[in-house]
Amino acid sequence: MSPDTLSEIQKAVLQGEDDSALNLIRQALAASISPLAIINEAIVPGIMEAGYLWNKGIYFLPEVVLSAETFREAMGLLAPLISPHEVKTAGKIVIGAVAGDVHTLGKRIVVTMLQAAGYEVVDLGEDVPNTTFINRVREYQPDILGLGSYMTTTNRAMEEIIRNLEANGLRSQVKVLIGGASTSQEYASKIGADAWGRDAVDAVAKARHLIRNKSK
Amino acid sequence: MIKDTSKQSWLANLPWVPVRAAMFDYAMTLAQVPARKFYWDAKIFTETIKEVFDYYGFDTILTAADIYNHEVEALGAKLVYSDNAMPTIDSREPLVKEPKDLLMLKTPDFYHDGRLPYSLDCTKLRAQYFGVYSGIFCGAISLAVGLRSYPLLIRDMRKQPSFAHELLTFVVDEVLVPFAKVQKEYCKVPRTVGADAWASVPNLSVKDLKEWAVPYNQRLRTKAKEFGIDAVTVSGEYCEERPDQFNAEVMKGCLDVQVDSMGAPTLSLIQGRWHEYPLEPVREYTAKYREQGTEVRVTAGVYARLLRDGPISEIVKTIKRFINTFARDHELTIHLANIPFDTPPDHVHAAVAAVHTFGRKPIADNLDEIEFKPPKRESFQEWRKIKGI
Repeated sequence: MSPDTLSEIQKAVLQGEDDSALNLIRQALAASISPLAIINEAIVPGIMEAGYLWNKGIYFLPEVVLSAETFREAMGLLAPLISPHEVKTAGKIVIGAVAGDVHTLGKRIVVTMLQAAGYEVVDLGEDVPNTTFINRVREYQPDILGLGSYMTTTNRAMEEIIRNLEANGLRSQVKVLIGGASTSQEYASKIGADAWGRDAVDAVAKARHLIRNKSK
Repeated sequence: MIKDTSKQSWLANLPWVPVRAAMFDYAMTLAQVPARKFYWDAKIFTETIKEVFDYYGFDTILTAADIYNHEVEALGAKLVYSDNAMPTIDSREPLVKEPKDLLMLKTPDFYHDGRLPYSLDCTKLRAQYFGVYSGIFCGAISLAVGLRSYPLLIRDMRKQPSFAHELLTFVVDEVLVPFAKVQKEYCKVPRTVGADAWASVPNLSVKDLKEWAVPYNQRLRTKAKEFGIDAVTVSGEYCEERPDQFNAEVMKGCLDVQVDSMGAPTLSLIQGRWHEYPLEPVREYTAKYREQGTEVRVTAGVYARLLRDGPISEIVKTIKRFINTFARDHELTIHLANIPFDTPPDHVHAAVAAVHTFGRKPIADNLDEIEFKPPKRESFQEWRKIKGI
């Protein structure tokens, strides 16, 4: 096994070359490189670099999407090979697109970036009823609840969920991070969310900030 | 009298810079019309829009409802319908999951399938109620996304480009060209305009847009011209969400895409955060046309979230800056971009009044000398009572 294998995997993730990434990962596993090393030294740096290039305006959305899809496929191969005690999480996040909203793209990228940053993410999917968010917060006791809305008309659900968290005595236990094409910092402030993620990379930065300051 | 929007002569004769809006869920909510009527019944849709149009005093209108849905819905894609919002494509279950699925698709019956009859009737009524003789369609890239989903289409473009070309060829030749022909015959419009939000930066790079959007937009224009209709697509919007990342070269590349797609220097500054971008690079871009004496049309958009979130002073400042930069030597229209349903009416009144005040022709040398106070207006419901509606 060439010492460059990990850097080749990293490059394949960065460039969204999923077939190549999966082949290289299989080779690395056959050469007894640990799944955790492949994740930490190749897969995560690959997607993080994609996020960096997006932030610099060098990558456009297609490159980020292909890199994120490659990350997901790679994790699909490697995650079952890792025992839970090997994984240290940076925090737990429950996330979903609110009722009436079936847009998947933005949330998929956000989930990928959060996972790459070390967060345990419970993805509730799309068109998630308000009560499901409340029940899952109660069940998983996450650090952050992520709410995505991509249409102005579905934004209403985010406001209602925050009110329901308060009514159920859960609001003080969880930070609320919102995002989506129809949202803004002004809107987040207006409805009482704790933070707004402009895009996936920004959402990770905001999640980090929220968890760091959670006890304050 | 037919008002031909392709020439926009009637707009040019207004005493001020014209202001228009895209306001679908907004008008529906303000007028308290159920979504399942508004997005299905062309007469209810048009009359609702007309009332809200009159209430605010817009000069022209973009009356096309859920533009991105009609063709894809008629082809058989799954949509999600709501009681209080426009229908939306369910991107979790794309119609073309596998390349072989494309073979199953055929040209829709534009007079019967899905809500295409509604779309056609909206176009007809637009002419009758607003004097705007222009049709509407979903641009080729956006329709391909609607059929295939964005991640799969991107994957096709990169990893199986021949299929991506097959898909786009189907979209243009089997859907959009015949749709343009039907619009010409049934609606008697000389022109139809395609909305193509997916074909914008950063959804695609300028290189992607030139490779994948422009050739199909040009193909559509050429083929539709054979039927006597001008079918143009608005691709290439610049939509960088981080103003500090504004890149003048990329933005100018977007304007190249727009010009090549439209066949004329008709520029659309609608979707992005133009209230925060510098405008001088746009003037630099249009200088070559102005020097040649070619008329440059600019539609400058007030960003939807700015309209909703305000403050009014920022909305007014944005409009004043657009007028100051473009109105003296470009044919400028101000566009209130897809007004969010929960936008305070005061924000919209202020925007319209600002355009009519600062945009009064001839444009003053110094707009700072013009006094402006946002109007205090009755509510929509009170206005309806006064009008006996």
